Amino acid sequence: MIRRLAGSVLLLAAVAGCGADPARESSGGKELEVLYRVEPTWPHLEKMLTAAKKQYESTHPGVTVKLTAVQGHSEVYYTKLALLNRSPDSAPDIYYHDTFQVNADVAAGKLAPLDDYLATWPDWSTQFPDSVKQAARGGDGKTYGIPISTDTRGLWYQKDVFARAGLPVPWEPKTWDDVLTAARTIKQKLPDVIPFSMYSTKAHGEATTMQGFEMLLYGTPGGTLYDDTQQKWVAGGKNFTDALAFVNAIYREELGPRQADAHNLKLYDKTVFEWFPAAKLGISLDGAWASSAWKPTGSKPWPEWKDKIGWAAMPTQNGQEPGAVSMSGGWVIAMSAYAKDKKEAFDFITVATSKESSMTYSVGTGDLSPRKDVAADPAYSADNPSIKFFTDLAAVTHYRPAFEAYPKVSAQIQEAMEAVTTGARTPEEAMAAYVKALPAAVGGADKVLSR
Amino acid sequence: MTVATAPSPPPVTSPPARGPSRRGRAARRLLPLAPALVLLALFLAGPVLWSVYIAFTNETLTGSASVNAQFVGLANFVKLFGDPNFLNSFLLTFVFVIGSAVIGQNTLGLIIALLQRGRARVTRSVVNGVVIAAWVMPEVVAAACWFSFLAEDGTLNTVLGISQEWLYTAPMVAVILANIWRGTAFSMLVYSAALSEVPTDLVEAAAVDGAGPARRLLHITLPLIRRSIMANLMLITLQTLASFGLIYALTGGGPGTASQTTPLYMYEQAFRYFEIGYGSAIALVMLLIGALFSLVYLRLIKVEDA
Repeated sequence: MIRRLAGSVLLLAAVAGCGADPARESSGGKELEVLYRVEPTWPHLEKMLTAAKKQYESTHPGVTVKLTAVQGHSEVYYTKLALLNRSPDSAPDIYYHDTFQVNADVAAGKLAPLDDYLATWPDWSTQFPDSVKQAARGGDGKTYGIPISTDTRGLWYQKDVFARAGLPVPWEPKTWDDVLTAARTIKQKLPDVIPFSMYSTKAHGEATTMQGFEMLLYGTPGGTLYDDTQQKWVAGGKNFTDALAFVNAIYREELGPRQADAHNLKLYDKTVFEWFPAAKLGISLDGAWASSAWKPTGSKPWPEWKDKIGWAAMPTQNGQEPGAVSMSGGWVIAMSAYAKDKKEAFDFITVATSKESSMTYSVGTGDLSPRKDVAADPAYSADNPSIKFFTDLAAVTHYRPAFEAYPKVSAQIQEAMEAVTTGARTPEEAMAAYVKALPAAVGGADKVLSR
Repeated sequence: MTVATAPSPPPVTSPPARGPSRRGRAARRLLPLAPALVLLALFLAGPVLWSVYIAFTNETLTGSASVNAQFVGLANFVKLFGDPNFLNSFLLTFVFVIGSAVIGQNTLGLIIALLQRGRARVTRSVVNGVVIAAWVMPEVVAAACWFSFLAEDGTLNTVLGISQEWLYTAPMVAVILANIWRGTAFSMLVYSAALSEVPTDLVEAAAVDGAGPARRLLHITLPLIRRSIMANLMLITLQTLASFGLIYALTGGGPGTASQTTPLYMYEQAFRYFEIGYGSAIALVMLLIGALFSLVYLRLIKVEDA
């Protein structure tokens, strides 16, 4: 296996070796390398960047933009980016970056602060709301990326399934029990239908932490991963166990997808492309973007979706104030600290996050646009009646404690979620294991607040 | 697989040295090897030494520890031996090696080689062709074949007329079968070659003396090819120990950790959770285990020779 490691080092060296330099020397021009993610069912970012490249190159003679794609899901992308970022020679100049990874890279000095450049870009102060700006801010208060997307999360449900199970439409659950009761009713009345789907295994990585666990934890009274006043990570506690108990109820009562599907990397594709259109699924806890696939331009056009699919806010545990909960994350376009031509790189980022680009991207992915002018444009919400609802969830949304240690904490949460999903551990045991692992993940027992 | 771990041929016993001229000749003989040796040292020994070093640090792929790693001594190894996930992966690796290599590939390869003796040329080339086709196939393609065979709407369920998610209910059986299917050709080729060296007159003499097929196999053939058996066992053990692509593509180590052998666990720690220091510590332990296996086999061969 060490050889394998050596192999990857070699491969990286080779990639770096045949990268930017020959082009730079032969044309005498500058080159900006942009790293992004693409999948056959998710071409939206590539589409937007290709257009941005064309526009940028026409106004910036002498600068070429090299688009480097990473094929695969987000977890693959994080790994590839981390490896490329190991060396200044292989690091891309500009990259698409998940906001929860930003602080780890800031701590390592791999990202360039953009504040000086942002001061010269009027859009930054006029079009980006403060909540969104927060997402790309490092622990040092500087801004390390321009947001391209933001999102909220909630419950999607199949109206036909609800009607056949005798459940009310529109559905407005007030507590977790309401959600579980609806799922139980579906199971009882319609044995062929999967009552409830959520992400709860390691296969789904950060989606399991955020769409799954945090949507529950932040809906418990006072539930949080990180105590802002004491600046410490919260070690489990009753809130934590309660969140896991919800997951436990879903799988022990067989209200969720079969175990094989719960572990399937393609669970999202199954829920959105297969189960919802075929009325095989009742409720899904997922992101605002889920409906984008059903548009005429989506991966699985389904014109009837506007009549067949409903959406509701995820309720708080006991219906306590504010009644609903949501989590927000998002992606930014960031600049490497190793970029040689920073001014040019920043110019490209502004093109890639302009109104036009942001519109192309949001309409394609179904993510919420961080820009005010896009959100106000009728074309943005024209074909998607769910947009307004998910945008309004911003009133009850929470952000992840995206500190440097967060990815490690997230890994421990995924461990706990999976153990409860398979039944390997009870919610109490899984919580105890989390508490035990937490100090090592966050860098010491003094950074942990015991509950 | 890598050939680097193959047993090196016994050193040529040189006659007593006769002064500097002999040494000079040796140096001249080695000279053409120098570029290859330098490249090997640079691109193989270098990264290996580097990963040995970072196994003793808290190096990560992202975050502040990626640029400012601290020497942590044996902390990674202490953590490793108290880590239930590692122990689980180690057990699974053991099951995988014994099941798919030592029992599966080895026995099946021997049986096919035995059955092929004295068969018509056509039969031999057809069987060889089929078995070797699986060997030639890249790991990922082989995994894709087995995935579509075992998937819920795959060939097996269609033929049997049942609905069973094999990769979920029996992931270890699935990866073991896939690895046997893919790797048997190697053992078969080794044994075909070894069996062709068994003198036919010896076997015929035993037959004349009244030894049945089973006795002839046990007392004539197997003892004569024992060195090949040991060499083959060592090679396929080492190769299976490090097997990654097939399992990764077939089950991804899942569901949960049900088929997460040590190489997959190491990958998860190093490249998914970015704990490259810890991952390297696991790699180092793997290397030691592999070395231990080869020592045992080499010793067995030596004992046979004595």
